[in-house]
Amino acid sequence: MTIGSMFGNILRSLFKKPATENYPFVRKDAPAALRGKLFYDPEKCTGCQLCIKDCPADAIELIVVDKVNKRFVMRYHMDRCTFCDQCVQSCRFNCLNLSDEQWEMASLSRTPMEVYYGRDEDIKFLLEKAAQPGADDSCGPAPAEQA
Amino acid sequence: MTNQSQPQKFIVPIGPQHPALKEPGHFEFGVDGEIVTSATIRLGFVHRGIEKATEDRTWVQNLYLLERICGICSNIHGTVYAIGVEKLAGVEIPPRAKYIRTIVAELERVHSHLLWLGVAAHEGGFDTLFMYSWRDRETVMDLLEGLSGNRVNYSTNLIGGVKFDINEKQADEIRRGLDFLEERTHYYMKVVTTDETFLGRTRDIGTMTREQAELLGAVGPTARASGVPRDVRSESPYLAYNEHPIQLQVHDGGDLLARFIVRLNELFDTYRLIRELLDHMPAGDLTVRVPRRIPEGEVLIRGEAPRGELVYYLKSSGSDKPDRIKVRTPSLCNWGTISHVAVGHKLADMPMLLVGIDPCFSCNDRLVTVNNTQNSQDLTWDALRRYGIEYYK
Repeated sequence: MTIGSMFGNILRSLFKKPATENYPFVRKDAPAALRGKLFYDPEKCTGCQLCIKDCPADAIELIVVDKVNKRFVMRYHMDRCTFCDQCVQSCRFNCLNLSDEQWEMASLSRTPMEVYYGRDEDIKFLLEKAAQPGADDSCGPAPAEQA
Repeated sequence: MTNQSQPQKFIVPIGPQHPALKEPGHFEFGVDGEIVTSATIRLGFVHRGIEKATEDRTWVQNLYLLERICGICSNIHGTVYAIGVEKLAGVEIPPRAKYIRTIVAELERVHSHLLWLGVAAHEGGFDTLFMYSWRDRETVMDLLEGLSGNRVNYSTNLIGGVKFDINEKQADEIRRGLDFLEERTHYYMKVVTTDETFLGRTRDIGTMTREQAELLGAVGPTARASGVPRDVRSESPYLAYNEHPIQLQVHDGGDLLARFIVRLNELFDTYRLIRELLDHMPAGDLTVRVPRRIPEGEVLIRGEAPRGELVYYLKSSGSDKPDRIKVRTPSLCNWGTISHVAVGHKLADMPMLLVGIDPCFSCNDRLVTVNNTQNSQDLTWDALRRYGIEYYK
C-alpha cells in the first residue's frame, strides 16, 4: 500500500529545468521533415494541374498566363492549406516543396495569406489587370480585397 | 427511461455543454441519493456530415477528410481507408510501405494510450499523473513530427503507399524515445496499481463481466479488460501484423483498474513490436501506381484503432469519386456499456466510468436516428428537397 506515490517524481522535478519550451524567445529548429509553407517553382511546371485536382482543401490555383510558353502563376491560399503534402507527392516535375523553415505563418489579417508564385513580370501583369475596374475575378484578387 | 415505480426519482442532467466534459454529449443520470439508478446517453451534437461529404470528393481528397474524423486516432482512419481503396483497385503496396504504415499506426497507439492515461487520471482527480504522462507523451509526438512533419494529422498514407521513408537515424531516434517511454510506462504501471488513493477510484468500479461485454458488443481495450480476446490485429492480421504478430493483452478484472492494466500492457507490447519492425524493415519502393478511377465494387475493411475495431465500407461505381463510404468507429460500440455498468455506482464515479472506455465524441457522431413512429413518412429525394425549401421559407 502506497500513498502519494508520485511525490519522489515531483521533488526531483523541483531541481530540473521546465519541460516546456521557451518559445518565442528560444526558437528551436524544426525537424527536416516539417511541413511548412508551400513553395512553387514556375520554371519546372508544365501546367498539368494534378496538384490542384488532388488538393483536399482547395488551397492552390494555377493561373495560365501563356500556355504555349509555359508561363504560369500560382495563387496559394495559406489559410486553407492543411499541409498534407499531397500536392508535393502528386507533382511529377518536383516544382512544389513544403518548407521546414517557414512555419510561423500566423497573421492578424487575411492579406498575407494569399501568396503569388511565378515570374515577377507575370505576377505584376496579373495584379495590374485585376486592379483595373471591371476586371473579372478569375485572375487576381477582387479589387475590394486589394484595398 | 423514467421509472414509473419510483415517482420521486431525481435526474441529474450533464451536458451537452458542461465544464467537466471536453466534448459535447448529453447524459441523464437518475439518482437515489448518491447512487445512480439509471443512465441515458444522447449523442449527435458534433454531427458533421462527413460521410455525405466524401461523395463530393475524389478518392485522393477523401483520404484527408476521413483522417479528420478523429483528432487522436487520425492515422488509422487514413490507413484503413487506403487499404480498402487499394483492395478495390486490386493493387498490393510494397512491403516497406506496409512496415512504415504499421510503425506509424503503433506510434499513434502509444500517443493515444498515454493521452488516455492522463485524461483518466485527471478525471480521477490525480492531476500529477496527468501532467507527467502528458509531458512524456511529447516524446512520441516529437517522433511522429520528425517522421511525418505534422504533429496531429500525420497524413502518412497515399493511395498506393506512404509519403515518407524511415532512415537509420530516425529509427535510432525512435528506439531512444521508446527506451525512455518504456521506463516511464513501468513507473506508471507501478503508480496505478499501488497508489491506494487512486486504487480507491478504480478498483471494483464499473465492473463488466465477459458475458456483458460480449452481449453489449464492446470492442478494443474495453472488451479486452473484461476478458474478451478481441483484436483485429490478431484476428485478421493486416499490414505487417502477419509477419510480426502482436501479443494479445487480456485481463479478467473487468473494472477500471483492469482497463488501466490492459492499456499499459498494450503499450509494452507496442514498444516491443515497433522495435521488431524497425529491425526487420525490408528494402524497396514506397509507392505503387493506383489508377484515379477505382473499378466498380464494394469492400468492407477492418483495422484496430487505439480504441478498438474500426470498420470501413467502401462502394465504388467506377468513377474517380466514391459512391458510398460508411464508417463505424470503436467509440460507438462501447457507449452501450456505460449505461449498463453505471447503475449502482456513485454519481462521482461517472466521469471515471465515461473516461474508462476512452470515448471520442466526434468519432461516432455521423448518424442520428429519430424514432418517431406516429409521424413517419417516406419521402423521395425530390420531395425531401421541396420539403426543405418550404421548411426554411
